[in-house]
Amino acid sequence: MRRNLFLYLTLACFFGLIAIFIVDGYMGIYDTIYMTAGEREQKIEPDSWLQQEKFGARGIGVNWGEKVFFRYEVDNRQFSSYTADIEVSVWHSQEKVRDLLSQPISIAAFVKGQLEWEIDAAELLPSDISPERSYEFTVIIKRGEIERKIIVYIIPSAYPPKPVPAPPR
Amino acid sequence: MKLEFILFGFGILFSLAGVGYLAAEYVKYLSEGGKLVSLLLTVGMFGFLGKYFEGLGW
Repeated sequence: MRRNLFLYLTLACFFGLIAIFIVDGYMGIYDTIYMTAGEREQKIEPDSWLQQEKFGARGIGVNWGEKVFFRYEVDNRQFSSYTADIEVSVWHSQEKVRDLLSQPISIAAFVKGQLEWEIDAAELLPSDISPERSYEFTVIIKRGEIERKIIVYIIPSAYPPKPVPAPPR
Repeated sequence: MKLEFILFGFGILFSLAGVGYLAAEYVKYLSEGGKLVSLLLTVGMFGFLGKYFEGLGW
């Protein structure tokens, strides 16, 4: 009888462990960002946001004049639907450069929702900056109270584009 | 008796593999409290399993 008690306690601990993994580790709201610059896609997974607090924001490099495409995926692993306001803006030196997106999102239970936007680096750069200089700005994604930061690094072009001579008339 | 031990062995292996898989997948998303309770349950699980096998005469 006492021997079986230990077996039951072992099983109770095992199922308790699985229950914690499911309730605390699986259930919840998880957001993932996919960024594409040029031919390269980068994925920022939900656990990266925890590391962001320790090691700083993640980033992506983009060549001068190229665009960055973002896909923001919100995974609702809850039994109820999830609603939040998503705001995306671009910042440089603690100053807002531009609002990119502001819209509510509503996701049914155990369904993924996603938003897409793009950044044209050329449009965001100051007019007086030359192509051989690097530049950085921060994309801030606000989902309700939660804030995600991504640094976009503009890679300077090694050889500045030569002005094309006007065709002869 | 021998078959029982083989089945126990398989059970333990599957349990460890299951917990290992879940841990690899979801432990990174656990809260601090969840991690602590998981640790206590893991210690308890192996402790009680040890006592059970001790009772079997291992």
